[in-house]
Amino acid sequence: MCGILAVLCCSDDSQAKRVRVLELSRRLKHRGPDWSGLAQHGDCFLSHQRLAIIDPASGDQPLFNGDGSIIVTVNGEIYNHEELRKSLPSHKFRTGSDCDVIAHLYEEHGENFIDMLDGIFSFVLLDKRNNTFLAARDAIGVTPLYIGWGLDGSVWISSEMKGLNDDCEHFEAFPPGRWYNPPWFSETIPSVPYDPLVLRKAFEDAVIKRLMTDVPFGVLLSGGLDSSLVASVTARHLAGSKAAEQWGTQLHSFCVGLEGSPDLKAAKEVSEYLGTVHHEFHFTTYDVTSIRASTPMFLMSRKIKSLGVKMVISGEGSDEIFGGYLYFHKAPNKEEFHRETCRKIKALHQYDCLRANKATSAWGLEARVPFLDKEFINTAMSIDPEWKMIKPELRRMEKWVLRKAFDDEENPYLPKHILYRQKEQFSDGVGYSWIDGLKAHAAEHVTDRMMLNAKKIYPHNTPTTKEGYYYRMIFERFFPQNSARLTVPGGPSVACSTAAAMSWDAQWSSNPDPSGRAALGVHLSAYEAKKAAAPLAAGTGPEDIINNKKARMVEVAAAPAVAIST
Amino acid sequence: MCGILAVLGCADASLARRSRVIELSRRLRHRGPDWSGIHCFEDCYLAHQRLAIMDPTSGDQPLYNEDKTIVVTVNGEIYNHEELRGKLKSHKFSTGSDCEVIAHLYEEYGEDFVDMLDGMFSFVLLDTRDKSFIVARDAIGITPLYMGWGLDGSIWFASEMKALSDDCERFVSFLPGHLYSSKNGGLRRWYNPPWYSERIPSTPYDPLVLREAFEKAVVKRLMTDVPFGVLLSGGLDSSLVAAVASRHLAGTKAARQWGSQLHTFCIGLKGSPDLRAAREVADYLGTLHHEFHFTVQEGIDALEEVIYHIETYDVTTIRASTPMFLMSRKIKSLGVKMVLSGEGSDEIFGGYLYFHKAPNKEEFHEETCRKIKALHLYDCLRANKSTSAWGLEARVPFLDKSFINIAMEIDPDWKMIRPDLGRIEKWVLRNAFDDEQNPFLPKHILYRQKEQFSDGVGYSWIDGLKDHANEHVSDAMLMNASFVYPENTPTTKEAYYYRTIFEKFFPKNAARLTVPGGPSVACSTAKAVEWDASWSKNLDPSGRAALGVHEAAYEGPAGPTPAPEDSSSPINGLPQIQPGLVAGTTVS
Repeated sequence: MCGILAVLCCSDDSQAKRVRVLELSRRLKHRGPDWSGLAQHGDCFLSHQRLAIIDPASGDQPLFNGDGSIIVTVNGEIYNHEELRKSLPSHKFRTGSDCDVIAHLYEEHGENFIDMLDGIFSFVLLDKRNNTFLAARDAIGVTPLYIGWGLDGSVWISSEMKGLNDDCEHFEAFPPGRWYNPPWFSETIPSVPYDPLVLRKAFEDAVIKRLMTDVPFGVLLSGGLDSSLVASVTARHLAGSKAAEQWGTQLHSFCVGLEGSPDLKAAKEVSEYLGTVHHEFHFTTYDVTSIRASTPMFLMSRKIKSLGVKMVISGEGSDEIFGGYLYFHKAPNKEEFHRETCRKIKALHQYDCLRANKATSAWGLEARVPFLDKEFINTAMSIDPEWKMIKPELRRMEKWVLRKAFDDEENPYLPKHILYRQKEQFSDGVGYSWIDGLKAHAAEHVTDRMMLNAKKIYPHNTPTTKEGYYYRMIFERFFPQNSARLTVPGGPSVACSTAAAMSWDAQWSSNPDPSGRAALGVHLSAYEAKKAAAPLAAGTGPEDIINNKKARMVEVAAAPAVAIST
Repeated sequence: MCGILAVLGCADASLARRSRVIELSRRLRHRGPDWSGIHCFEDCYLAHQRLAIMDPTSGDQPLYNEDKTIVVTVNGEIYNHEELRGKLKSHKFSTGSDCEVIAHLYEEYGEDFVDMLDGMFSFVLLDTRDKSFIVARDAIGITPLYMGWGLDGSIWFASEMKALSDDCERFVSFLPGHLYSSKNGGLRRWYNPPWYSERIPSTPYDPLVLREAFEKAVVKRLMTDVPFGVLLSGGLDSSLVAAVASRHLAGTKAARQWGSQLHTFCIGLKGSPDLRAAREVADYLGTLHHEFHFTVQEGIDALEEVIYHIETYDVTTIRASTPMFLMSRKIKSLGVKMVLSGEGSDEIFGGYLYFHKAPNKEEFHEETCRKIKALHLYDCLRANKSTSAWGLEARVPFLDKSFINIAMEIDPDWKMIRPDLGRIEKWVLRNAFDDEQNPFLPKHILYRQKEQFSDGVGYSWIDGLKDHANEHVSDAMLMNASFVYPENTPTTKEAYYYRTIFEKFFPKNAARLTVPGGPSVACSTAKAVEWDASWSKNLDPSGRAALGVHEAAYEGPAGPTPAPEDSSSPINGLPQIQPGLVAGTTVS
């Protein structure tokens, strides 16, 4: 990842302004520790902080077209850049950077080239010939982008809010994929029958194109289904790739957790099966509250980066596409199920994409997410959602279509019990005491009286738990502007559901815990009841796994319930 | 390098205070991007930002003794840690970190162990048994350290000023070679080598003894568990470091882990003298050489950041730091975490061009002593902070304790510049590595004359800086300079420009007092300005003023004097230096 900041038409071309832009751009230095650049054209400034993944030697930014009349600052990876270069035979490229094609595509095709790009990106392009500019963000919002407006008539565009929040009168998240118009976007219910091999192929292609790198890389492996599939497919296809020639054919995998946590154990098992060079990082709740780290991913990224690794492949997006969250068990019908997956994908840029990108970029590490490949999404979202529905009677657990697609008897991607292991929410998997630790810490520092006044102090998105209040205080300290709080989504949710899905179960609205556990309770009870009533012929597959999980979940369910009620 | 911050006795053990210490510690994160840690004991806080060079997997800090009653936060490298561990047979170590010995040595020997450490370090050690603490900084001040006092009675220590400047009422540089003990309530010098008294030594020059001392200094600095390289400007000092490092690399543990081919790095404006010279040396030594180019605009755009990082408004330091700062970012982006660098040689051997005017060997020697003592304010500060800004560690073999002792024991008569005997500046060092059978460097490089760092990156660099400052500092501003900045008043527009940036980041009076000032010509101390009456009239801080002097000094005598073939040709290589002279006029 890189960090971009553009200030356009600010009616000020002074040295003082230049220094200010440089200063603000440095707030994004963590995203691009390798080099920085600034191109100024009159009162327009395009700045860049670079993390060098492709062509480290020559690809410094901003980039230019052949005659230098078009300037572009890009945060992203264009996986099909070689193919696009070939489509521009008359153009002379100055660097080997994958982002170099953007200026040339614009020169050739005008504004309508964006859907030709396959990858993740945010960019600002300035056409010096007529002083116009163009900004775009990738389809799903894998890369972050914000837009702001200054009182001087300037337009600001920045990878992170902190690049522009102090200098803009108003700012907001730049909507992802404004140019993006795939069939699933309309939320009509698709009817293509499920074909496991088509889905498998689409995912393999998505992983393979993400092996494009000139620097050391690895995979984030929590031991859950999604990250294990990413690791398995990567390990399988690494051999003949250019990456392997440079960095060896043995894959590095990384896992973080409290000592003895379920993720550490599960990841170790998968890594042993796949034969990866596995790195485990341990932390303590004590550490975390002290460092005020938002997520275990943030902590792990620092450790990964310290090993010299600059890029990781990660499993985000699968739960949204396949309805992997546990509350999907309660989807009333396939239409509701499908629409909820569409809503979830559209909201990804505010949740998992934001987390994965910013938690890694904080340490100059790039996260790539094959599940959010454009082609893969199209394939997965055209499947008749009937197949995605959770049907214990047909032994279809959540994400069954994905599991089934990689259930290869002859040449197994993963051992069966891992392939059919049930979901563990990320924050739970790092260790059960993690969330409890956070809650206890917040409860210690947020008084009942503070909660009582929460509505007066924070009328917008009022925090309803002490933990929420605690995080909010920290956020407000860094980002006091009203615009800032409006960039964060709110509203009722249970275990990551959208507000619309809250109507699936009347009970949910009375206990809006944002963690997965509330739904886990539901989930457990849903199964316990059914099993007691009519014991299913528990076969070899998913049922065993569900049984295995039970003991662990009961243990979890007890503690937080108390915390929530306070 | 790492970043340390300690707050002791602040009479506040609240979460708010803890958060504040963590927040301040984060201002040092560039020094230690790999991990961070904090230890709180009542109202004492020891924080650490780690750059993992030795034992990356287990050496997170703060570190402890066995029963955890002694806590220590260290920025440094202890090259003789294995030997010291050997002395502490009854102690059980819990990490492979070289710094862990400090806690154990204290436990064993009390306060008087500091001189046993061979390396560079700054540390704060807290003895929780009686809540006492000691703080120490290495002999020469290779690692930076500041000390401050809060209104609440607290004492603060930090690797860089930025971590304590906002919260202390007053702060100062912690003197190198000193130890602060809370028990005795004062600062005392633990470093007490023979040369410190500045008396004139009389040991005759032995080239092989000097050579061996330097080789040892380089070899012990190859201790690393991560990729490393050498900063190579192509001048004598960095070329010697590279030559010795590449000769001894094979067979080391570092070579087994990272390959036996040495990486070398050089930066310059396109076509600069350094780039050419370094390339030549790299080709000769067969290193994996990396060249980086920067533009004057890129350098100017980096100035604010450079000044924020190196915490000085000293003109020569800023000129030289900027290219080093830019280069460090590029080096780090290649995955390299440590570099060897050639700082210190000019001070020890009187390598600056103004030494040509030293009136006698006594004056010469005393000036070298003063220069070494002031290193922590200049080149050590520059080398450490320019590299640490990007989580890169710089090691400086010329500042090895034993090497300094040997080099400073030599009768200074040998160090004097004697064109009549064919001895150019730093002749004792050049001659020590003039090995006919197994040459360290080609003769013409070994006897090449000094190029000041800032000139070597390209002549237009300093001119570009001056032009930029002239554009943004008006005559009126400079006229009022003595009223705006009564201490260390800037006398040039360039100095004024840097000063305004410095004041923006460090507005307190205590901050400006940490930066040295006073008259100087071409890096001389104020005392040496007396060597030539004409100097006090033209105080250009760059090397060029003295170059003028130098040239004038030689044009006369050097022509007719039949200098020996080795050394005379490099002196005649003066045309290289001449273009720079044009800029001298701006000062007047």
